[in-house]
Amino acid sequence: MTFAQRKQWRKDHPFAFYAKPHRTAQGVLDMKRWECGIPGKKGTIWEGGLFKLDVHFPDEYPTKPPKCKFVPALFHPNVYPSGTVCLSILNEDEAWKPAITIKQILLGIQDLLDDPNPESPAQAEAYNMFKKDRVAYEKRVKQVVKENPAI
Amino acid sequence: MTSLSAPKERLNRRVEIHQVSTHTVPPFTTPPTTRKRKAALAASPTPTTATQSRSRSRAATATESSSASPDTKPVRKRQKKTKAQLPGSGAESDLDTPKSEKEVLELPVEERLKATDLVTPASTTMESDDDFMSIASSADDFLGTQGSDDESLGEDFGDDFDGGFSKDKDIFSNEQKPYEVDFKVLTPEDIEREQNLQVNEVSSILGLPPESSAILLRFGRWNREKLIESYMDHPDKTLEEAGLGTNFDTTPKTEVVPGFMCDICCEDGDDLQTYAMRCGHRFCVDCYRHYLEQKIREEGEAARIQCPGNDCHMIVDSKTLNLLVTDDLKDRYRTLLMRTYVDDKENLKWCPAPNCEYAVDCHVKQRELQRIVPTVQCGCKHCFCFGCTLNDHQPAPCKLVKMWLQKCEDDSETANWISANTKECPRCHSTIEKNGGCNHMTCRKCKHEFCWMCMGLWSEHGTSWYNCNRFEEKSGSEARSEQARSRASLERYLHYYNRYANHEQSAKLDKDLYLKTEKKMTSLQSSSGLSWIEVQFLDTASQALQQCRQTLKWTYAFAYYLARNNLTEIFEDNQKDLEMAVENLSEMFDNPVAELARLKVDILDKTAYCNKRRVILLSDTAENLKNGVWQFNVEW
Repeated sequence: MTFAQRKQWRKDHPFAFYAKPHRTAQGVLDMKRWECGIPGKKGTIWEGGLFKLDVHFPDEYPTKPPKCKFVPALFHPNVYPSGTVCLSILNEDEAWKPAITIKQILLGIQDLLDDPNPESPAQAEAYNMFKKDRVAYEKRVKQVVKENPAI
Repeated sequence: MTSLSAPKERLNRRVEIHQVSTHTVPPFTTPPTTRKRKAALAASPTPTTATQSRSRSRAATATESSSASPDTKPVRKRQKKTKAQLPGSGAESDLDTPKSEKEVLELPVEERLKATDLVTPASTTMESDDDFMSIASSADDFLGTQGSDDESLGEDFGDDFDGGFSKDKDIFSNEQKPYEVDFKVLTPEDIEREQNLQVNEVSSILGLPPESSAILLRFGRWNREKLIESYMDHPDKTLEEAGLGTNFDTTPKTEVVPGFMCDICCEDGDDLQTYAMRCGHRFCVDCYRHYLEQKIREEGEAARIQCPGNDCHMIVDSKTLNLLVTDDLKDRYRTLLMRTYVDDKENLKWCPAPNCEYAVDCHVKQRELQRIVPTVQCGCKHCFCFGCTLNDHQPAPCKLVKMWLQKCEDDSETANWISANTKECPRCHSTIEKNGGCNHMTCRKCKHEFCWMCMGLWSEHGTSWYNCNRFEEKSGSEARSEQARSRASLERYLHYYNRYANHEQSAKLDKDLYLKTEKKMTSLQSSSGLSWIEVQFLDTASQALQQCRQTLKWTYAFAYYLARNNLTEIFEDNQKDLEMAVENLSEMFDNPVAELARLKVDILDKTAYCNKRRVILLSDTAENLKNGVWQFNVEW
């Protein structure tokens, strides 16, 4: 991630989102690691939550996609137990393109929250609940939102 | 079949050989051709007439066969024309001639003349039109026939003695055997040419620029007919799916666009060079270049690189590429494209030999592998199976080879050994191997005492100590028959495996032998005063030896899966004959160098015999495979 890209983000980013380079213990900005926040979409069960996401840019970026990881791991069918997000635009063998911006990534993940893809489950718990007991699933999501409130 | 210029070279060499060695001619056991020729000689008053009449009949046969079955494969057509061209008699008029006969026409005139009036006796008996005789083999016979014109039969043997010299090359490989398949070796240049040819063809049919046609063809996995059909039906849809837009007339160039910001690096600037393909997704040249570099160099991608734009499937064409990347990357890109061409086409395979850049073109399909073992030889001399790209494994079919290798590799045989050589304690089921002593067993673990023979309680043996007479007892009999079966199966496997492994081992040793042979040849030259060409028989013999061992090795794997019947008897006889021939020849190599010169005739004789046995075994096996008459003891 370059400074120009950061500038672009600051100039134009969606409401309630945030994205900033990680500051190391020595106080140095690490442009390869960004801390981001994704708000739950209005009118969905995710509304009112803000979910923290670590975005790690590999050396080959932008040829290769950044790795996005919820910290802590999120209860969601397409989020691995490690917190890594499973999304086609984040997969270099699928839909990743160098022209995909951080803004598009974050918006994409926000969309994914309320619109999980049952074709590629990443964790058993959320997936099974989503498939078998939607009421319990939604209750659980609301619980998660409460634990990660937008301030 | 690999290249048509080879026969010419061979012909030249043959002539040399003839000149050097006609004078050193010891008597020689007659190979089949000689016998036939002798018969022909005896039947006709003067040898010359005989030759001429034969050549005429040959020409007639050639014409008939080539006109009777029009062949679509270009390679074979060419060969056949060459063959038909040879007998320079009136038959030529029937043939559409010579453009492709460059090879023949390029021969020096006198040699062409020589080549014309000859024909191998063997060729007159041929039936299949695949059995063409190349110039080389004809020339071979030519030497023989000429010798017999005015000289004695002894001299005739002399020529055959020459024939034995490189028998495997001339007589044995030029007519097609049942186990041989048609194939063609392609150099990187050939592949590129073939690729371009197809691209240009499609380009002119569809009226698209070549680079777009190339993308279309790659998208359609080089299935030309299907592609053209689908394009004719839905041009726009096909273009869209292949990642091509419909607008073709732009020449790619980089531009400076005022007020532009690159979506990838977010850089802007008034002098920023940018580029966009027809899809209109514009990025700065640096980002574009970096992207292409990464794709080509790191990911080995070529035919399916898409536009860097989000959700755009436009394929980067070669013009764009040439505009943007450096020369070394262009080379790599071309290599990668070529690779996809070979990878995509079912009839093309890379030679698996290390560092070999050739590909082989063969039309044997995957589903035909039940009936054919398609062995091909690359231009680098590597012999491999076109079906599975493993080393030549004639006569065993690919699937059986895979099963055999798997069997030899995995632990199933260890388990087999355990069940054949050990028993379990009837009480605690510990595995016990009996390594000596009497039948009175005491389990070390549970102290159970039992009889090894009947597995019954030792105490029940009463007075018959150390001599179990309770063999008929029902309780132990099942365990015993199970054990016997397993033992028999293991023994059977080991029988074949040992022989297989032995030939594999010997083949490795033979490779060392080959290296030693080279030394032997040099020292033989200096010690016996023989010329270089005269000591080549050792090289020929050593190569024959290796090849035969390779074949023998696989006959054992093959035999393991055969269900016994009359055919297997014949197979085993053939196998035995080849094995004996090989061992005989192998033995001769152990002689000291001084002896080798004296044994030359013998070695030549045995080499020829080995090769002949190999051809017989392989032909027989391949015929039976083709006709589906083998019975196997496994499903495959």
